Amino acid sequence: MAEEKKPEAPAAGVAAAAVKPPPPPTPGPPAPRNPGMVTAVVDGREVVVKPGTTVIEAAQAMGIDIPYYCWHKRLSVAANCRQCLVEMSNAPGGKLMPGCQAPLSEGVVVKTDTPRVKDQQRATLEFLLLNHPVDCSICDQAGECKLQDYYMQYDARPSRLDIPKNVKGKRVELGPTITLDQERCILCTRCVRFMSEVAGNPQLGVANRGTRSVITAFPGRPLDDRYAGNVVDICPVGALTATDFRFRGRVWFMSSARSICVGCSRGCNVSLDYLDTTAYRLRPRENQAVNQEWMCDQGRTTYRPLNVDRVLAARLGRGAGGQAATRDEALAAAGVALAAAKGQGGVAVLLSPAAALEDLLAACHVAKLALGATEVFVGGRPDGWHDDFLKKADENPDRKGVELAAQAYGLAIRPFADLAAAARAGTVRAAWVVGAEVPDAAGAEALALLPVLVVQAVNQAPLAAAATVLLPASPHAEYDGTFVNFEGRAQRFEAAWYPRGDARPHLALCAGVGRALGLDLRWATAREAWLALSPRITGVSIWDFKWDSLPSVGRRKGLLPLAAGTVDGRLAGQRERLAPEGSETAERGVAPTSW
Amino acid sequence: MSSEQSGTLKADAAPAARRPSELDAPMPTKRMLVNLGPSHPAMHGTTRAVVELDGEMLASCKLDIGFLHRGFEKSCENVTWTQCFPYTDRLNYVSSMMNNVGFALAVEKLCKLEVPERAQYLRVITSEIHRICDHLTMVGALGMELGAMTAFLYAIEARDLLWDRITELCGARVTSNYARIGGVSRDLPDGWVEKTVQTLDRAVALRDEIDGLLTRNRIFMDRTRNVAPVSRQDAIELGYTGPCLRASGEPYDVRKAAPYLVYDRLDFDIPVGSNGDNFDRYLIRIEEMKQSDKIVRQCFAQLAPGEIVVTDFRYTLPPKPLVYGTIEGVMAHFKLIMEGVQVPAGEAYSCTEAANGELGFYLVSDGSGRPYKLGLRAPVWPMLASLPWMLRGALLADLVPTFDSINMIGGEVEQ
Amino acid sequence: MAKDVIDALLARFPRIVTDAYQGPGGDDVVFVRKDQIVEVCRFLKDDPRMGFNMAPYITAVDYLGQEPRFEVVYNLYATALNHRVRLRVKVPEEDAVLASVTGLWRGADWFERYCYDMYGLRFTGHPDLRRLFMYDEFVGHPLRKDYPLRGRQPLIPEREMPEAFRGPGPAGRD
Repeated sequence: MAEEKKPEAPAAGVAAAAVKPPPPPTPGPPAPRNPGMVTAVVDGREVVVKPGTTVIEAAQAMGIDIPYYCWHKRLSVAANCRQCLVEMSNAPGGKLMPGCQAPLSEGVVVKTDTPRVKDQQRATLEFLLLNHPVDCSICDQAGECKLQDYYMQYDARPSRLDIPKNVKGKRVELGPTITLDQERCILCTRCVRFMSEVAGNPQLGVANRGTRSVITAFPGRPLDDRYAGNVVDICPVGALTATDFRFRGRVWFMSSARSICVGCSRGCNVSLDYLDTTAYRLRPRENQAVNQEWMCDQGRTTYRPLNVDRVLAARLGRGAGGQAATRDEALAAAGVALAAAKGQGGVAVLLSPAAALEDLLAACHVAKLALGATEVFVGGRPDGWHDDFLKKADENPDRKGVELAAQAYGLAIRPFADLAAAARAGTVRAAWVVGAEVPDAAGAEALALLPVLVVQAVNQAPLAAAATVLLPASPHAEYDGTFVNFEGRAQRFEAAWYPRGDARPHLALCAGVGRALGLDLRWATAREAWLALSPRITGVSIWDFKWDSLPSVGRRKGLLPLAAGTVDGRLAGQRERLAPEGSETAERGVAPTSW
Repeated sequence: MSSEQSGTLKADAAPAARRPSELDAPMPTKRMLVNLGPSHPAMHGTTRAVVELDGEMLASCKLDIGFLHRGFEKSCENVTWTQCFPYTDRLNYVSSMMNNVGFALAVEKLCKLEVPERAQYLRVITSEIHRICDHLTMVGALGMELGAMTAFLYAIEARDLLWDRITELCGARVTSNYARIGGVSRDLPDGWVEKTVQTLDRAVALRDEIDGLLTRNRIFMDRTRNVAPVSRQDAIELGYTGPCLRASGEPYDVRKAAPYLVYDRLDFDIPVGSNGDNFDRYLIRIEEMKQSDKIVRQCFAQLAPGEIVVTDFRYTLPPKPLVYGTIEGVMAHFKLIMEGVQVPAGEAYSCTEAANGELGFYLVSDGSGRPYKLGLRAPVWPMLASLPWMLRGALLADLVPTFDSINMIGGEVEQ
Repeated sequence: MAKDVIDALLARFPRIVTDAYQGPGGDDVVFVRKDQIVEVCRFLKDDPRMGFNMAPYITAVDYLGQEPRFEVVYNLYATALNHRVRLRVKVPEEDAVLASVTGLWRGADWFERYCYDMYGLRFTGHPDLRRLFMYDEFVGHPLRKDYPLRGRQPLIPEREMPEAFRGPGPAGRD
């Protein structure tokens, strides 16, 4: 048919002015075989996708690996790294097409593993590595670097470079949190696109041309956006580094626990990277419904209280009269003091919305059944900044959890200011504080004068210093638990390491206090506490929460892909660390449980 | 020797002294249970044999192994492919390089990797030298079990001289670690071939000395001939391989049956026995040492300069100047060290003719840098398993020599 | 030569041999159904065209997370015809019992004990199925993938000498 038309076409063109041309032949696109969808063939397998789906997305869905650097599913397409070039049957001039940009169309045949594609991938990598410094041994990205991965997968050939490498800025401090190594940069512009598209604050750009191109901030304008830390995560190479984490540890030694950011009530899903009992950094973990895969810079700093200023031992008495005690002694003393105070005007219970839901349930259980409380006071950190992206003003991860727990036990919730006022007025003479985070220092001073002040504290705080009985509590890195975020979404976090020092989770301390007060409490772990206490939560939706179903998205395999809790994921010399004898977590990991 | 008499035997023995006439005392006919090993001066390796004695005869024998079990397979499943090599050294520690080579060949089979010719020759040379060492150990020890200490000293002298050459090659005497995925770790040092030829000459002289001392020795022959004989049919059915199988008359040798490396270019014979008794097993080894000697000298003649390891960054470490000087080199080095060689997913069984028989590795890879499964077919395993059967009706004094004649090496059997 | 084995097996046992392929290095590999393993082995051993009179190696693999979970691998060799075949038998975890091939090849004895010791697979008809490397009081099977890498087990009390043998062997053997 095409041959018939060919001679006619010029004639028609010439005569166009005079004669109305016959209706043009309409080869058009072939009719879709699946209406409303696009049917194409990738590597010999047929795939049906929605119109507009790019090759790389379709391939990922089919389990075919196409290497890429600049493409990111939450950013616009730049198609500048050229690593994802594939053969497509509809390519103009038979060129290789960028798989991240080219959409699949009806009947297209895509090949991702031909020698031509392989050669192109190898050549692109060689080109990207041409000016890359010999930095792996000092690079923070080593071990999670896409250059390394793809080099071994797609290139694996020696260098052919015989001239000096290009020299650029080695440590460019873009802003307070980000340091850029321009030599390592492959100019994929993910960071530039992130800043303008996601953070909405275009503070980064590409300056200069050709081999002199660099990523940079504008002169005199530091990269100080509150979400700037995410550019480190999306940087596929070691160019953008977090000043905070730079040179602090090798990632392949670190284990990674699935955790929740405690910086605000958003509850961003994070990976907590740790070594032994020290946290090193937080990285956002993907959860489309909560934080996509981003988090704010303030949230990234919330790992620090896990390491420093911890309360690690119990203490009896305040001020100069204070003396160290074992946890059991302190629990017994707390029981005696609270039991006595209960008979003399009652005990005020102060809950912290920074504790986990299980902790709060346990606390309410003891408050209601052992102390006869009818109301609880809510402390927690004061409000901070907020925006309409991720950060909420409430800087406590579990305020909803307090509401749920109090409601479950029919306890009224009253603000911290009421407790402070009552303490000043002398109507409250004793208090049991579960979590020493309080919103205002003046109130804490008022509480500090109470004759009986039993405090369970994670970190050093004014209330902890003023406690008559101080109990060391574990932060969320040391046990399994649940936070309920501002929208009522309950999210599980998992323990990273065994509790430091004498510390134990709030729920264990609450159980200890409860036992000292004569309750028969059997649960020792968060899971047991949840199973025992959660049936009381009724009439409130906490979504489709199941305690045992911690989503596995973001679980890092790492270079030592051993399950968290097996000690061999740790540095030599730290491998002999076992769970404290008889601890709540002793059965986790090391001790054989599952045969 | 920790021996144990049953309670009734003791009860019988005590009143016997008080009988009117000791000459009339009946012989105690109760069987005696003797516990040989696991740590016993006469035992080879840390193996325990619980034998029931009927007088001097073995009424029954039970083997109890596992005292040397150190989780070889589990260990290997949790380290990178390259890190398995030191573990393989400790299998048959008398001929460690053969284990290296066997494991390297198995991994290369999965990777479909072609090893440079010089590396293949080097692997054959070291393997055959180690075969001589292994056989010397067995031959010398067999003499020693029967009281001929001199032969043992000769054997150990020859073995140590050869191990000195091995030391020059890889830096270690016993736990050598020479083969690598894709080749060998280093080339021959200067003048090594000449020195080794001289050492082989010395080893030949010592071997002939042992041969002369033992082979036609009346006592030795009486103590080994027709002791623990295994028929050809039984040997096959029991899964024997190596010298023990060939002593029974079955000429199966992996080097001939499925030639690997460059064995098809070399001229050597497979000695075969007829009775399958301890004497035949001894003779086979004497003869195999001669053949190995021949192979090594042929290899020296054929050895040509060339690469000793494949030049592919996916399998072998880049040369140090490239690691320090180029990003490609440092990346490859980093990935190979930290993640290991990425062996294609699949499974393969590869076997080589080690000193004691077929050394097999059954590998399963899931495509990552660590073995998913590493199954070891230790050569002596079936022989040791059938030892009680071999020793049916034998004398207690023949137990330890027979143990030696299969050359049981605890390191490989007990993993 | 070697393809003959696969062809013969497929022709003789079309329903029992579920799959066959040539692995790396040209090895012949055959998947055999668990319940008929002895019949297949007997055919391989007794048929003169096969002649697999030796079982040099039998081992097991734990494919944790796959269904069926375990696999027993039989490496067979024919001395006269000089060919090899590898039988792979899938074994589900809930029914980890196979028929023993010790009746065909006596050398399979310790290999099957190894599979029992390390993976917990049981072999019916085995004359003396005890642990091979580990001691009787050991709990679990160390080469299973879910056995903890550093799982420590308590010391066991010293045994009385009359109980020197490990395990209650079949009557008459001790």
